[in-house]
Amino acid sequence: MSHVPFQERGDVAVEADYVVVGTGAGGAAAAVTLARSGASVLMVEAGPWRDPHDYAWSTYGAMRDMMDDWGATITMGRALWPVVQARLVGGTTVINSAICVRTPEDIFGEWARNHGITGIQERVWRFQDQLEDELCVAETAPAAMGRSNELALKADAAGNFGGHVIKRYAKGCIGSGQCLQGCREMKKQSTNLNYVPEVLRRGGQILSSAPAERILFEGRRAVGVTGRFVHPQTRAKGAKFTARARKGVFVAASVTHSPVLLRRSGLTHAAVGAGFRAHPGTGVFGIYDEPVDQNFGVTQGWASTKYREDAGLKLETLSIPMEMAISRLAGGGRAFMERVVGYRHIAMWVHALRARSVGTVGAGWGGKPVIRYSFDEYDMARFRAGLVKMSEMHFAAGARVVIPGVHGIPYSLGPTELDVLANAPLDPKRYVAILSHLFGGCMMGTDPTRSVCDTRGKVHGHEGLYVADASLMPDNIGVNPQHTIMALAMIVAEGALGIA
Amino acid sequence: MTWLVRSTMCDMMPAVGDQPGLADAGVDTFLATVRRESPMLVWAGLVLGAVIFAVTPVITVYVPLPSFLLPAGLRDTHANRICSTRFYLLRQAVFLLKMYACMCWGQDAAVRRRFNIAAYPADPGTFRTT
Ligand SMILES: Cc1cc2nc3c(=O)[nH]c(=O)nc-3n(C[C@H](O)[C@H](O)[C@H](O)COP(=O)(O)OP(=O)(O)OC[C@H]3O[C@@H](n4cnc5c(N)ncnc54)[C@H](O)[C@@H]3O)c2cc1C
Ligand code: SF4
Repeated sequence: MSHVPFQERGDVAVEADYVVVGTGAGGAAAAVTLARSGASVLMVEAGPWRDPHDYAWSTYGAMRDMMDDWGATITMGRALWPVVQARLVGGTTVINSAICVRTPEDIFGEWARNHGITGIQERVWRFQDQLEDELCVAETAPAAMGRSNELALKADAAGNFGGHVIKRYAKGCIGSGQCLQGCREMKKQSTNLNYVPEVLRRGGQILSSAPAERILFEGRRAVGVTGRFVHPQTRAKGAKFTARARKGVFVAASVTHSPVLLRRSGLTHAAVGAGFRAHPGTGVFGIYDEPVDQNFGVTQGWASTKYREDAGLKLETLSIPMEMAISRLAGGGRAFMERVVGYRHIAMWVHALRARSVGTVGAGWGGKPVIRYSFDEYDMARFRAGLVKMSEMHFAAGARVVIPGVHGIPYSLGPTELDVLANAPLDPKRYVAILSHLFGGCMMGTDPTRSVCDTRGKVHGHEGLYVADASLMPDNIGVNPQHTIMALAMIVAEGALGIA
Repeated sequence: MTWLVRSTMCDMMPAVGDQPGLADAGVDTFLATVRRESPMLVWAGLVLGAVIFAVTPVITVYVPLPSFLLPAGLRDTHANRICSTRFYLLRQAVFLLKMYACMCWGQDAAVRRRFNIAAYPADPGTFRTT
């Protein structure tokens, strides 16, 4: 059988040339590359397999059915900021916005200088050409943009914020604004719709609801993984599974889970879990005289990378479900509900910061990841500057006031009051941020004392063990990471196959 | 403790004008579902948020009574102040409660209609079993 879902009893034993742990951006890209070479591939995925008609509609349903740990993972540090990832076949590609950005050229220079990673630029871009073709990357059509994105285009025309209509892995997006709960229209090209099924068509197998708990070794060689099925609804543990690999094990369980899996499997090297980085992001609400109805139109349609190199900022539009958006309006009781009345007039735009702060991922109780991460003052200052920039954009688009969402400064600010925001205290506890672009934890590099993997993703000191997800990346990149993660995973897979 | 979670959530989201409050937006069904389905830690977080909400009028409106014994006006002032308190951990604990209250309220069909947003069909909760 090619798909083995949750099994309650017994022992499930399966074998293939390669075992790939995780089916998100990295895992699926690695698995399909291996399968296309003719190798047999067995994917082991912690979450269940949900097809588009299984996706939740509501935010509560999405937390329950799609999010890792019910969306309750937070950073432990000066502020408790949510860390969002998915747990189902397709990984975070199911709930993301599918924004596709090529790896910027300067990143290859940094990786070469700081980590000895050389000779991959052309290959990354070649794989990105291939991905763009296979995953139907396209700009969102004007008819699917919606008012919030149109306002951003207007602001850009007025204020020269250097933006563009976003290119996304989406084929014929109709702008239903449901990306974060999964695209039921099957327009978004998440990996559960393409690469995972292709691996199965090529003779591969998949265990779903099957979190790998340990990597199995014979000496220094990885020979498989083991764990127990977990029921997607009751969370009850089921049968034990053993997935044996004749040629290699690929760990692609995400930045938060891959280091934990390595640690639990006895790799206690200090570099495992080190170098956690992110692009923490936050939103500024603009209040407009006319209704914006931000839930109509594509979830993210406009972006700017103009401020990436100097300020480390990426600007984007983003519409999140109404129930999540209103929770960001301050206060409680009648005062809060009176703010909610005006919801239709809100446009939410966000920035993501290429933060220089570094944290760690450790293994906590029951194998849950513990993420220690705090912003330093330099990052906080840039983060605050991003809020100012987004506010300026809203005013350029005609917003009456903005709601920056910073605790301890006035709830809303007019166009002449932005100095209040520019001078807001830098205590991270006053700010709301979300971490959705994560990096590191199993970094690649030439120095085995500072990195977990070599420059082609093979774990130092082990045979047949590779990392192929965002945890491999030794630095954050200042743009949306999926395209880079997938290309790197394909390079790692080719390395295992002995291709250059 | 469900009653406490319910009453504190409803205090956070009362009706204003013709806009319904949480009490009119299916909160009982929602909380029964959350209680049944959520991991222990999520439910414990909600209870903790509710307890904090209930015992803090003394620092927000300076009255040493639990929130549910306050007169309506003071309770509303408390709801607003505790959600914006300068004590970070209290604010965060209460925010979890507010987030779930918003999730419940925002998935109500009548509420969504007010905001010109289509109603959510029921979440299927299904997955491949073969
Ligand atoms: C809301 C949101 C929006 C985003 N939007 C964009 C965007 O528009 N463009 C972009 O480029 N990036 C976006 N990102 C980021 C991008 O989706 C991630 O960077 C990317 O998916 C990470 O790939 P990955 O392979 O490292 O991990 P994931 O895609 O998260 O995949 C990891 C997989 O491993 C599984 N797993 C975990 N533990 C185990 C285990 N023990 N055993 C087996 N399986 C396990 C998980 O269930 C998951 O399926 C977004 C992220 C979020 C949260
Ligand atoms: S906006 Fe809607 S149609 Fe477009 S990709 Fe997202 S969920 Fe699919």
